[in-house]
Amino acid sequence: MYPPSLVVTFTKKSSVKMAKLTSLFVISLSFFCISEAVFEDQVGKFDWRQQYVGKTLFAHFESNTQSSKKMFVATDKNIFASFNSRTGDLLWRHVDKTGPEGSIDILLLHGQDALMVVGDGRLLRSWDTNIGGLNWEAVLDTGSFQAACFVAIQDTVKLVAVLKKAALSLHYLSNGHQKWVENLPDSDAVQYQAVYSGGEEEVYVLGVVPNSHLTIIAYSLEDGEIIKQSLDLEVSPGFQPVLVSSQPHPARSPLSEFFLQLGPDHHVLLQLNADGYTIAPLRDFQPAFLVSFATTGKKTVAAVMTPKNETVMLRHSCDPNPRWLSPLSFPLQACAINLFSVDSGRRLLDTTVLFPLELNGGKPHALYVHAFLKKDDSVGYRVLVQTQDHALTFIQQPGRVVWTREEALADVVTMEMVDLPLTGTQAELEGEFGKKADGLFPMVLKRLSSQVTLLQAWLAHLWKLFYEARKPRGQVKNEVTIETLSRDEFNLQKMMVMVTASGKLFGIDSKSGSILWKHYLENVQPNAAFKLIVQRTTAHFPHPPQCTLLIKDKDTGLATLHVFNPIFGRKSHIALPALPRPILQSLLLPVIDQDYAKVLLLVDDQYKVTAFPSTKNVLQQLQEMASSIFFYLIRSDQGNLSGFRLRKDLSTERIWEVVLPTEVQKIVAVKGKRPNEHVHSQGRVMGDRSVLYKYLNPNLLAVVTESTDTHPERAFVGVFLVDGVTGRIIHEAVQRKARGPVHFVHSENWVVYEYWNTKSRRNEFSVLELFEGTELYNSTVFSSLDRPHLPQVLQQTYIFPSPITTMEATLTEKGITSRHLLVGLPSGAILSLPKMFLDPRRPEVVTEHSREENLIPYAPEMPIRTEWFINYNQTVARVKGIYTAPSGLESTCLVVAYGLDIYQTRVYPSKQFDVLKDDYDYVLISSVLFALFFATMISKRLAQVKLLNRAWR
Amino acid sequence: MSDRIVDGVRKHTPSILLFFDESPFSLLWLWLSTEKRKQIKSEKIGIILYIAMASPGGQGGGAVSTRGAGARRMKWALELSLGNARGRGDRQSNQGDVMYPIGYSDKPVPDTSIQETDKNLVEKRCWDVALGPLKQIPMNLFIMYMSGNTISIFPIMMVCMMAWRPIQALMSMSATFKLLENSNQQWLQGLVYSVGNLLGSALAIYKCQSMGLLPTHSSDWLAFIEPPQRMEIMGGGMVL
Repeated sequence: MYPPSLVVTFTKKSSVKMAKLTSLFVISLSFFCISEAVFEDQVGKFDWRQQYVGKTLFAHFESNTQSSKKMFVATDKNIFASFNSRTGDLLWRHVDKTGPEGSIDILLLHGQDALMVVGDGRLLRSWDTNIGGLNWEAVLDTGSFQAACFVAIQDTVKLVAVLKKAALSLHYLSNGHQKWVENLPDSDAVQYQAVYSGGEEEVYVLGVVPNSHLTIIAYSLEDGEIIKQSLDLEVSPGFQPVLVSSQPHPARSPLSEFFLQLGPDHHVLLQLNADGYTIAPLRDFQPAFLVSFATTGKKTVAAVMTPKNETVMLRHSCDPNPRWLSPLSFPLQACAINLFSVDSGRRLLDTTVLFPLELNGGKPHALYVHAFLKKDDSVGYRVLVQTQDHALTFIQQPGRVVWTREEALADVVTMEMVDLPLTGTQAELEGEFGKKADGLFPMVLKRLSSQVTLLQAWLAHLWKLFYEARKPRGQVKNEVTIETLSRDEFNLQKMMVMVTASGKLFGIDSKSGSILWKHYLENVQPNAAFKLIVQRTTAHFPHPPQCTLLIKDKDTGLATLHVFNPIFGRKSHIALPALPRPILQSLLLPVIDQDYAKVLLLVDDQYKVTAFPSTKNVLQQLQEMASSIFFYLIRSDQGNLSGFRLRKDLSTERIWEVVLPTEVQKIVAVKGKRPNEHVHSQGRVMGDRSVLYKYLNPNLLAVVTESTDTHPERAFVGVFLVDGVTGRIIHEAVQRKARGPVHFVHSENWVVYEYWNTKSRRNEFSVLELFEGTELYNSTVFSSLDRPHLPQVLQQTYIFPSPITTMEATLTEKGITSRHLLVGLPSGAILSLPKMFLDPRRPEVVTEHSREENLIPYAPEMPIRTEWFINYNQTVARVKGIYTAPSGLESTCLVVAYGLDIYQTRVYPSKQFDVLKDDYDYVLISSVLFALFFATMISKRLAQVKLLNRAWR
Repeated sequence: MSDRIVDGVRKHTPSILLFFDESPFSLLWLWLSTEKRKQIKSEKIGIILYIAMASPGGQGGGAVSTRGAGARRMKWALELSLGNARGRGDRQSNQGDVMYPIGYSDKPVPDTSIQETDKNLVEKRCWDVALGPLKQIPMNLFIMYMSGNTISIFPIMMVCMMAWRPIQALMSMSATFKLLENSNQQWLQGLVYSVGNLLGSALAIYKCQSMGLLPTHSSDWLAFIEPPQRMEIMGGGMVL
């Protein structure tokens, strides 16, 4: 079922000469065109970047001396990175492929070498930890990875053993060459789980036969011969112990002491006696959240994290039932970490470290201890604590937090930018206008007093400027705190509210990038869907701003609402509606209640609507305007688009349905227009000075489909423009021999999409523009129900020299500024592409009219100019999304690119036409003005004298 | 007429000449300032002065004379009234003359008017006035052609002048009628005069039109179109 295509693409070059001419023209045009690049002295002035690595899976410290500064982490984002342990700064970082192909299975550290198994046992890599360079890489045989360990021959580590599901292989540490590989016996029945070498001539492999017994095989180091096979340990069903043991050096046998976890916060330190058969308990830790071993020199210590609260300890000791001991069941203030001697189980004195728990933070999740010998031969240590919200905290004795990294920000799901509130004085001045008059005299007095306070504030500001101007630039550091936050002159500083996949919310100051508040939502499923809605902005002064986060659990379908103040991050205590049924979608109405909060409608799986807030006032308003409220739902799995109309009793009726058969194509994405988008010009001026009016349908949806058939000859990409109210298909464009992923932007009267052309094997941009024609059908109101004429659709396609990862359009306050497309490239660059280049009216042959219209002649190749990169060398790894927000200046658009890193900057698509340049020479201009003024005065005087003299002659 | 011009120049020149010695800007400035004062044939002054400046030797027709070139930096200055041209002692002796305006004569002027030719002269003079605007039209056409249709400062200035002169003339019609009072064909002349001015302004409007300054196209009103009001509220999306 291929819909008929109305597409005309101009991808043919008319002739070589023409192309040359046009390229010349484009080049000459580019000189007059926008130059986006920043100057050297502007680097970091308006932009900042933060780099993250993700949730830590493995962490190692460089060496066991007090002065060592390096630590290494491998994360779930397939990143291997090194931190400076003094500051928490990133020293270097290696970003591997996303997905299982680049996943890090294990990280082992020995001396200067870091060994890593990547991609479920696909590759074995060795890194030089000093500079982060790759020593070697070896491809391993297929098979899923189980375990790996270092193997030592005569006290030096020379080999590494990798255990796969069905094979064991040994590799040289120096070059990665394989020494031998042996198949494991009975690999179908036995689950091999561990590999171990104790410095002897043997490698041991441990396997478990489920519900039966353990098996241990010893291999000879020399040739991989099976030396002995023991099948003697029986296990009972349901045996799931968690064992924490430590082997300080691969050349020696492990410690005979180990931890056994009995409950969520119950650990026992046990010792295996010398005879190898009896186990003696050394110490019982209850409650103890986390335990870890650390070795320095010849000493090995055990670090144990316990809750600090005394009363909790008491309650636990009287309560014998371990099921009650969940660490989440009571609020904690802090945790204490203590060191214990492993030999005896005794506590070491003066080793307590306090770990303060934040009120809205996560609970501790993992503990990495860096122990070292102090000068007096006692054991000192620093500890890296990972909490459930993926934050890493590095603590020094006695409880000083050295640094904290919020690694949850490596996975931002959605974000919004909220205006900052006015300062107290500004708010007072604003409030003056709202009040009723209480006499002329008091009002005058009040006005005078507020003017005086404003003057004071201004003088203080001037003084501060003067004071800071004397300091060198590097030293000036504005401390931003929540209390001092206020809107600046041009509303360029905003609060970035970021929602991360781990369920942690952040409030980040857009100017400095500092985290001003964080709030961890517990019990958020890892695959939950989020939708962030700003219900009330800061414009309604006595009422605080209000954001609502809709969290939908994908498994149960049930949704919860988290309502909070976006400036302070505090949860609002508002009566939330009961949501017993799974929620399908939400819809924010422009209707406001008496507290100026916009009304949010939640649609459940029976197509019933719940309003939030649902006061009487709101319900009444909803009843009045129910007939003009529509919503649409798209079920990608059924290929179904359906539209609904709201009834007065808050139920709905289905009014249209479009089915795209799922056997042919599947719906990939849908985008409407942004509700805060303003279009200043209703049409385009032609060369003959007539107007081509834009088709600005606020209810238009762009639906993108991809074919299920992925064969290069038959694959296609479809773009449907559907009216969301009536379900009418306004236009359909099908790109044959094209494949996704399709990235697209839908704004004003145009849709720009990017796809992979399977025939020509290149990326292509295509632009669709909709025009109403030279006459407007109805210039005062727009109703989708009364639009008899279909718009004229123009389309052009261009070749783009790079694949892209995301795309967004700039947004300004009034929509006067020309638009740019912000394109995230896989290289980490963000390209600001003028929309002018993506204009379907670009002519093939230049005429008088097209020149008058400033249309660039059509050229199939879209250029990428390096000065269009808005982030110069501050690459953003794995850009996932770009968020644009208008500022108070019409020329300026705020941009946040997020992915693994977060990058914030400003863009000026039409240059800064409404503000003096950053490097404007005030001194020169004012001195010239003053000089001219005085020159005029003096010359006037001289002329007078001269006249007088002449008169006397 | 010429002494009026000279009069006007005298009042304005000194300070200018001090600072803009021999520069073309002084000419422009002069031209503009005189233009502002009275409606006079400005080009002539420019030419006069330019000639004056081109010959600083002092032969400048009595209106310009050299000063002591040793100590003073100025090379020349305008000495326009006769009184100033004389020395100091001269002035004291002739103190009685100062009381009378320039050109005053004690002797009565004999009446030499001749009726018949005078009438014709008045008639001729009045037709000159009436046909003045029409005579300017070919000149204006030439200027229009020369200035082109690009929008820049000089064409705009030309157009403004072209538009402003007829309007001003039409506004001061009563004064013109007073001039034509003595003529027999006063009404016809008035009509011709106003038609000439109207034609002049029509020409200016045509020039504006061809330069694209008139809001005659729909695109000129595009900025004033308000975005249409939205009748339906719509939202939704993929099932979460």
